[in-house]
Amino acid sequence: MKNLKKKITKIFKEFTVDEENLIPILQKIQAEIGYISKQGVEEIANFLRITEGQVYGVASFYSQFRFTAPGRHSIKVCLGTACHVRGSQNILEEFKRWLLIEPGETTEDKMFSLETVNCVGACALGPIVIFDNEYHGHMRIKSVDELIQKYRTEYETEREVDK
Amino acid sequence: MQNNGKIKITINNQSYDVENKLTILHATQQNDIFIPHLCFHPELSPYGGCRLCIVEVDGVKGYPTACTTQVKDGMTIRTHSKILQEMRTEILQLILSEHPSACLICDEAEECSDYQGTIRKVGFTTGCRWCPKDKDCELQKVVEYLKIDEIEFPVYYRNLPVEKKDPFFDRDYNLCIYCGRCVRICHEHRKSSIISLNNRGRYSTIGPAFNQSHLDANCEFCGACVSVCPTGTLSEKTKKWSGIPEKYNSSICSLCGLNCDIQILTKENKVIGTLPLGDPHLTGGELCVKGRFCLIELVNNPDRILEPQYQFPEGLGFITWEEAFLKASDKLKKADGNKVAVYLSPNLTLEEIVAAKQFAQQVIKTINITSSVLTNNLIPYISLAEKSISIEKIEKSESIISLFLNGNYNYAPVTLAIKRAAEKGIPYLQIGWINDTTSRFASHHLTPETGKEKEFVKEIVESFEKGKEVSPEISEVMKLFKDSSSTIILGPTILDLTEAKEILRNIEKIIKLTGSKLFVLNPYGNLPGLLSSVDLKPHQDILDKISKGKIDSLYLIGDSPFKKRPNVNFIIHQSPFPPSEKLKPDLILPTATWSEISGTYVTLTDKRKKLKAVVKTSEKVLSNSAIFAKLAKKLGKQELKFNKKELSKLIPKKLTIKLPEFNSKPKKNIVQIKTRAFPYTLIQEKNLYTYMGMYLNQLIEGLREIEPEETLIINPIDASKFDIQNGDNVMLKSHKISKKYPVVLRKTISPGFIRLITSNKTFEFETNPCPVKIRRVNV
Repeated sequence: MKNLKKKITKIFKEFTVDEENLIPILQKIQAEIGYISKQGVEEIANFLRITEGQVYGVASFYSQFRFTAPGRHSIKVCLGTACHVRGSQNILEEFKRWLLIEPGETTEDKMFSLETVNCVGACALGPIVIFDNEYHGHMRIKSVDELIQKYRTEYETEREVDK
Repeated sequence: MQNNGKIKITINNQSYDVENKLTILHATQQNDIFIPHLCFHPELSPYGGCRLCIVEVDGVKGYPTACTTQVKDGMTIRTHSKILQEMRTEILQLILSEHPSACLICDEAEECSDYQGTIRKVGFTTGCRWCPKDKDCELQKVVEYLKIDEIEFPVYYRNLPVEKKDPFFDRDYNLCIYCGRCVRICHEHRKSSIISLNNRGRYSTIGPAFNQSHLDANCEFCGACVSVCPTGTLSEKTKKWSGIPEKYNSSICSLCGLNCDIQILTKENKVIGTLPLGDPHLTGGELCVKGRFCLIELVNNPDRILEPQYQFPEGLGFITWEEAFLKASDKLKKADGNKVAVYLSPNLTLEEIVAAKQFAQQVIKTINITSSVLTNNLIPYISLAEKSISIEKIEKSESIISLFLNGNYNYAPVTLAIKRAAEKGIPYLQIGWINDTTSRFASHHLTPETGKEKEFVKEIVESFEKGKEVSPEISEVMKLFKDSSSTIILGPTILDLTEAKEILRNIEKIIKLTGSKLFVLNPYGNLPGLLSSVDLKPHQDILDKISKGKIDSLYLIGDSPFKKRPNVNFIIHQSPFPPSEKLKPDLILPTATWSEISGTYVTLTDKRKKLKAVVKTSEKVLSNSAIFAKLAKKLGKQELKFNKKELSKLIPKKLTIKLPEFNSKPKKNIVQIKTRAFPYTLIQEKNLYTYMGMYLNQLIEGLREIEPEETLIINPIDASKFDIQNGDNVMLKSHKISKKYPVVLRKTISPGFIRLITSNKTFEFETNPCPVKIRRVNV
């Protein structure tokens, strides 16, 4: 909590108290902390002398801002037109089924966070899923589970090596 | 361009001269041309959300909305062409595709409303007959105007849960059309910005951040959003099913000393609601929660007494008025006048007060007239009030300093004035521990050190007198005083502090030294009227007399000074509300009250305000003056008149507040300073807001939720340190006392402070403010 406050106060130093700075501040906090927490909204409201409602109203309008802490790996499922035609909705459903979360949420073990995007410019590879910065084209329902397991095993071996 | 700033425009082939800088919608409204609209509100910034007011303008591409387009010289506008009406119909159908509308477009709607013949045709949540705004709904009116009888689009029901948890109003966002009026009035007019439009597109919602409840988001419950809602989305809990009011009567609110103007909504001889002045569908934000939602619950309260009662040896029983007068006159005839004490409530009207005074002085022949609110601290507080300025002048001062103001649920006109002034750039300084609606606008927020409140004020005085050096905090205050003519706003929380008298004395000095103006907030409705027309004794004097056995009868007129029965022979309790349980009065006389009687209230600046009778009471309830008249007759004083004309003659032309002299012994106050072992500061507050001796939050459930009694109010930041949740039990420990209390978390209190509201006459903890420590009680 205190750590977060320190980080946020440091970010505020770059800005003046002006309502126009709201979106740049939100972006900066998202970039540094990864998400907009409840406390973050409170601090921004205090800093800019507006209310939490006003901050949240703006932040929730843009899909670039998230309100839950991101997981270790981010999963982005493309729902753009080309991917949609090739059945990306089913891929998303499969991710939801395996991870037990909705888009915009993070799994309980903080491993994965699921997001949807609208076209990443690789339509020829659709349906496409982006794991962190790795692009997985021509996704099939079957490969969803495989991918999740792959990342889980990687993480576990990493941990064992650390030990 | 024509002379006197007017320009020529053509609307529907007819030319008009209109003022420059108007919008097209305003211009048409001024010339009685109707354009349908839903999101437009005359006092709010144009929004252009509902798209119903689209018009055709020659030379302008597309169809601009009339509410956002300004008129220009020579503009040619068409408002009702065929294509426009077709487009409006389509737009409205789009709105209706997400708004339950089966009944709006049903063929049998008319018959159904009379006979409910097709009751099972649609799901019960979708029918208009089950909408609280039925027949008073702006959407319904536009549907009628555009004559929509079918919806071409697929209908989508959002299926959101109805939000009923917050006090005073319910919210059913399935009926919302996202006109944004509530968000705009909260932001622009009330300047609270508690609710906002969240998310986007079809996932849009309206509400506080992170789906908090309104209570947690510091909503003031002013009800502005409820008044301006064009649909049934927001509805008052008390008024929800009352239907359309028959009459709007102007009157005043009697719950605090500001006596705001209101309109009372009545139907079938019943009060069904209250609103600030103005168009009932567009007004809002000028009142506080008490004036907007509490008055109606007071007058329609199920606890009200409606028949005279007498304490028989076997217990309390109903009696007729004739018997009641006999019993009262028997007692009062025998009683020695000087052994009777008369208590008056500050909520009585001026006429009732002079009637009571006449009755007490000439019929009972007593000099023991008092009021339970007249405590020793109140006297210096009100004596300061003689210099109080009128409310309009707050905005005109060069700087504003508020001392111990808690404006979240009180004094809306004052907090609005502060907020408006601060927005204009007038420096505003808040001193105190409350984080209220004005805090966001404060250029500085100072909190005096615990136990050093007196020193805080004293330092300012000494710095003025002797030029003593001060801490940087106080030098901020000094700067405001020196650079500008400032207004000090004094809140009644100060009355509860241990060193209230010393602080008040120093404030008086500051005013003398700096020449700043003062606005004193008076929590008691007609206290100035009471103090200026009757010579009251201090309450403590009467209490002393009772304890010495010099009083044997009490006549309580709307006042309820005792929780337990004092040692007296006879008690008459004359009030609209029942006495406290252990008082056990011998005679209970029910009286008419607010909205049932007319009379005068006086504000601190000697403004007379008229209270109007808008409903008739039941025959078994009499007005105070009628009771006095009958009793006077029974006691052989027929010559005394208690009718309105005679009473108004008794009211002095100029009212000046007369305060009793009180000879309190100088007491050495003990204060405690915050230490490491006791890191929190407990602020104890007496429950100030009463009506006829009843505590408002005991009478009204919603208010109890907002400001609970005997409950610790803690900032969520402090609570998170101890892992305390809402409703947990917490052990509160000071140097001398420890006690267990339930907890509510509110952001209205600054971190490090704890608020405790009590209706006891004395405080539990030794000093106020009191340094304490807290611990969660494990179950």
